Amino acid sequence: MLKVQTRKEKKEQTRLKLVDSGMSMFAERGFLSTTMTEIASNVSVAHGTVFLHFPKREDLIVAVLDEFGTRLADAFEEASRKKESLRGVLEAHLSVLKTYEAFYARIVREEAHLPSKLQSLFLMLHAGVSQKIYLASEKELEKGNIRKFPRHLLFNTWISLVHYYISHKELFSPQGSVIEEKGSEILNHFMNLVRK
Amino acid sequence: MADLKCISCGSCGMPMRESGDFALGNVASLYCSHCTDEEGKLLPYETVLKSNVHYYMSSQGIDESAATELAKNLLSTKPAWKRSH
Repeated sequence: MLKVQTRKEKKEQTRLKLVDSGMSMFAERGFLSTTMTEIASNVSVAHGTVFLHFPKREDLIVAVLDEFGTRLADAFEEASRKKESLRGVLEAHLSVLKTYEAFYARIVREEAHLPSKLQSLFLMLHAGVSQKIYLASEKELEKGNIRKFPRHLLFNTWISLVHYYISHKELFSPQGSVIEEKGSEILNHFMNLVRK
Repeated sequence: MADLKCISCGSCGMPMRESGDFALGNVASLYCSHCTDEEGKLLPYETVLKSNVHYYMSSQGIDESAATELAKNLLSTKPAWKRSH
C-alpha cells in the first residue's frame, strides 16, 4: 500500500535533498564558488524554499558538514571496528577518506575561508580519529611494537601527511584518487617512523 | 547489540551507537553519557564546554584559548545550546 507522506516528512525529504545537493556541489565546485540557487536548482527545489530550510548560507554549509561528519564517523567506526592494530586503524581511516575524498579535499583546501563553526566541526571529526589512533597505539606500545609519542603529535603527524597529499592531489595523482595511489606509501612511511 | 541507527548527542554531537553511549544507557535519550549526570540530566553548559575544550586539546594539542573558541562554536550548533549560546 502506498504510504501518504506527511507534510513534516516532505519537509525533511526536501531538506535532505538540499543537503545531498550541497555535498555533491561543494565537492565538485568548492564552497566558495557554489551559490544557494545552484544547490537548489540542482535538485529542482525552488529558490525561495532553500531559505525556508536554511535562512543563511552558513546554515546550509553547517548542515552539510554535520551530515558529512556523521557519515564519515559512521564509516570510520564500521571500517575500524575489528581493527586492533595501529596499521589497521590507519588503513580504515584511509579507506573512508578515499570514499569521501572529493568533499574532504574541499574542506582541507578551503578550511581557512569557511565559517568558524565549520572548523569546529571538522576538528571534532579529527578528535574522534585521534582517539581511535591513540587507543590502537596504546596497545602497540604495550606489545613494544612502537615508540612512545605524545598523543597529539602521533595524530598530527599522521594527518599532516595525509592532508599534504590530499591538498596537492594534482601534483601526486592528477588522474585519480590520491589516497588510492599514494595511500600505501603514506601508511608505510608513517609506520616506519613510529615502529620501534 | 541490535541494529541501531546512529544518531548524535544533542549537546555535543558525539555519535551514539551503543546503549552505553546514551545517558543512563537509555537509547531514547537525546544526550550522551558524557553530557549527563548520574540521573541522566543534562550537565550545565560550562561543564560540557570544559569537557569539549579538553577533548580538542588532548586529541590535537590545540591551545586552550583556541580550543575554547572551537568548543563554543561547536556547542552553538547543537540543539541543547543553540538558542541559549
